[in-house]
Amino acid sequence: MPATTYAQLVGTAAGVLLLSAVLVVWRRSLIAAVRLLALQGVALAVLVAVMALHAGEGALLLVAVLVLVLKAVVLPGAVRRAMQLAAGEREEAPLLNPTAALLACVALAGLAYVVSAPLVEIGDDPALRVVPVGVSLVLIGLLTIASRRRAMSQLIGFVMMDNGIATVALLTAGGVPLVVELGVSLDVLLVVLILAVLTTRMRSVFGDTDLDELRELREE
Amino acid sequence: MTAVDLGLRLHLALAAAGVLVALAAAPERRARWAGSLAATAAAAGLVTGLAAMAGTEGRLTLSTALPLAPLTLAPDRLGGLFMAIAGGVGLLAALFGIGYAHGPSSSATSWAAFVAFLPSVQLVPAAADVVSFLLVWEAMAITSTVLLLADHEHRPQVLSATRWYAVMTHLGFLALLAGFAVLVAESGGTTLDELARAVESHRQQGGRYHGALALLTIGFAAKAGLVPLHVWLPRAHPEAPSHVSAVMSGAMAGTGIYGLVLIAVRLMPEPPQWWALALVALGIASALYGILQASVATDVKRLLGYSTTENSGLMAIALGLAVLLRADGETGPADVALVACLMLAVSHAAFKTTLFLGAGSVVHATGERDLDRLGGLLPRMPWTATAFALGGLGAAALPVTAGFVSEWVLLQAIIHGARGEGRVVAVVMPLALAAVALTAGLALLTMVKAVGVAFLARGRSEAVATAREAPAPMVTAMLAGAGVLVLLGVAAGPLAVAVAGTVDARGILATSTAGLHLAAVDAGLEPVRLTGGVLVLTALVAGPAILLERRRPRRRTTLPWGCGGVRTSPRMEYTATSYAEPLVRVFGDALRPTRDVAVTRTDRAWFVVREVRFHQQLEDVVEQALYRPLQAVLNRTAELARGVQNGSIHRYLTYSLAALIAVLAAVSR
Repeated sequence: MPATTYAQLVGTAAGVLLLSAVLVVWRRSLIAAVRLLALQGVALAVLVAVMALHAGEGALLLVAVLVLVLKAVVLPGAVRRAMQLAAGEREEAPLLNPTAALLACVALAGLAYVVSAPLVEIGDDPALRVVPVGVSLVLIGLLTIASRRRAMSQLIGFVMMDNGIATVALLTAGGVPLVVELGVSLDVLLVVLILAVLTTRMRSVFGDTDLDELRELREE
Repeated sequence: MTAVDLGLRLHLALAAAGVLVALAAAPERRARWAGSLAATAAAAGLVTGLAAMAGTEGRLTLSTALPLAPLTLAPDRLGGLFMAIAGGVGLLAALFGIGYAHGPSSSATSWAAFVAFLPSVQLVPAAADVVSFLLVWEAMAITSTVLLLADHEHRPQVLSATRWYAVMTHLGFLALLAGFAVLVAESGGTTLDELARAVESHRQQGGRYHGALALLTIGFAAKAGLVPLHVWLPRAHPEAPSHVSAVMSGAMAGTGIYGLVLIAVRLMPEPPQWWALALVALGIASALYGILQASVATDVKRLLGYSTTENSGLMAIALGLAVLLRADGETGPADVALVACLMLAVSHAAFKTTLFLGAGSVVHATGERDLDRLGGLLPRMPWTATAFALGGLGAAALPVTAGFVSEWVLLQAIIHGARGEGRVVAVVMPLALAAVALTAGLALLTMVKAVGVAFLARGRSEAVATAREAPAPMVTAMLAGAGVLVLLGVAAGPLAVAVAGTVDARGILATSTAGLHLAAVDAGLEPVRLTGGVLVLTALVAGPAILLERRRPRRRTTLPWGCGGVRTSPRMEYTATSYAEPLVRVFGDALRPTRDVAVTRTDRAWFVVREVRFHQQLEDVVEQALYRPLQAVLNRTAELARGVQNGSIHRYLTYSLAALIAVLAAVSR
């Protein structure tokens, strides 16, 4: 693969990653958010695959397939299953309105570029130049978790954070060891399942999945 | 392998076995087995301590999985002395506990904690590096907290006492941790010897050295119960089971004194003058305040708790004076003062253990701690009364006990030290003398009250009427404590010489009749001759009097009218409160009593009184003035901090986001 093609492919994949994250913040519909999450998974898998082809590593290609299965199919699928009980549920009143959230995303992405400057300067690899995207993904994921009311949105934000961490690891270290990657992914899957169960329980108890209902749990 | 090597291993092995047995044994056998193992372990510690005192070297090194230097237990001669003290106290307390522990204090947890508590108290002086010192120190704090909690289900005040104790003891631990951390950072090593060397070379650097010294002093003073860090003592001692109180007061408070002596002779020889003056000031305040509170206390164990503060104060005075005198070039009196400090520690351990065990025996028999409801126990509990009275003699510093000898040595140091040239010494010595004298006088009053009101006259409550003498192990432990107290008092010379050896004090000599000669200040004391003389004189006066009385015909006097004095009832006796009334009056400003007198008159005539109720409450003034405001401030701050936590998950998530951003921003700069 020629170097320019490689650079362009990496840049495109990273761009899709960031774009999907920003769109998740912008859209209120939860079902759209899940679709965007799947798209993000695909973009991540493509990124891994491009890197694998460039480096000519078979094991990394295997990781790409695993990422595709897990992040583009299994995780969004699990989230969607948890949501089926309330089709068409929307994030009615997020704590941060979409415009403000988009502005915050810009700020966070800027911060990500500033703080990951030392990482970018490690080498000349085009892959390193998109490390800030991974960091932005983590920050935006955390922003989503903190600013949304529905339990489902937290789930989506959590998966986005994990995607971001995976991206950074992949870009800087050429991928975390397979075992670690698998372990982390399984953990994330477990968390998603637990949150899915919790959401169902919340709905059956409160008739809603607004996290502010949980405020009562505080010890007085 | 030396005796100390072997002793340390045996001690730890026996203690470990004791803990296992305490947890595993059947309830009916638990006390006997765990208690016996605890006593054996304590005895092993006692022997080890004595061997180390005699100069035998030995060490036990425990490797850890942590990236630290291995833990080292290697008692030097001074450590051996305090190890022996703790061993002796532990031996008696374990023996006593076999008969005494019942109910919650005989549970598996309590026994296991007790068996673990004894070695931790004994190994503090054996620790040769900072990590093991702090580790054992903390073990001592935790196990004693568990023991203190034993009866929390039945008495709510136990919880409050434990809270005070846990907070004070851990604040003290933090101070120690910080102080040692500074020294370790300065020296780069963790053993006490390395610290001492570093202090020697960094002496001129000032700031940090003084800071570490102050922190260590606070930590040790809190454990020794010096004013104003004494507030846990009068709470924890009454609420703990009596055999535990005995160890806490007799041995654990001693570890605080050990720490202070450790600073003065090993860690930072020639400490600065401010330290010595602070120690003397703390000591004077503690001695006077402690004995004053003890003299007006009606709860016998609270009284003994405050008396611990008093005795720690005396030891602090002695140590502070020793440092002052040495800095002034008066090495002779300085050595005498240092020896007085250590002898006070030994005698305090002996008499306070005896007294607490005696008090425990009284509580065991009557269920009462309030002196105002006791009395008349002498015929019912003769052995307990004997032991308690001898302990009282010791606490009042009267012959023929070790208490007398050690206080005599202290007074010798003060009187003869005052001849020095130094200006500071010339001012401090008379003050110290006055404080010690007043303390001694009040201690005498206090002990007369404790012994007299509890054991003499007639019983003041029904609980006393059914009291029975304690079972054999308890009586043995009490009498052994009293015996040691008297033995050390009679053999004053050998005791002083042995103690002097641990700090290389010169000029402390024993005479052929086990008497004591202080060459440095040219003073001598002959307890054996003194006792013999007193006995002969008593026999000369009492013998003829008894003989004459026997010859005389028996007469019986009956009064025609006794002014109401014939119909005596126990209610007419002096109580602990009424006995201390003059003191409360004289020291009213320092004690701030709240009194409540309610007079009920009959309906028929205003001048005919039907009932008078008197209620007096004595609070700890230091606690009111110092700790209550502090608590209020803490509570207000805590309320403010509550605002941070409103229970909203989003708020917490936002905190994490903000924290992450802050960290990233900080890193990227």
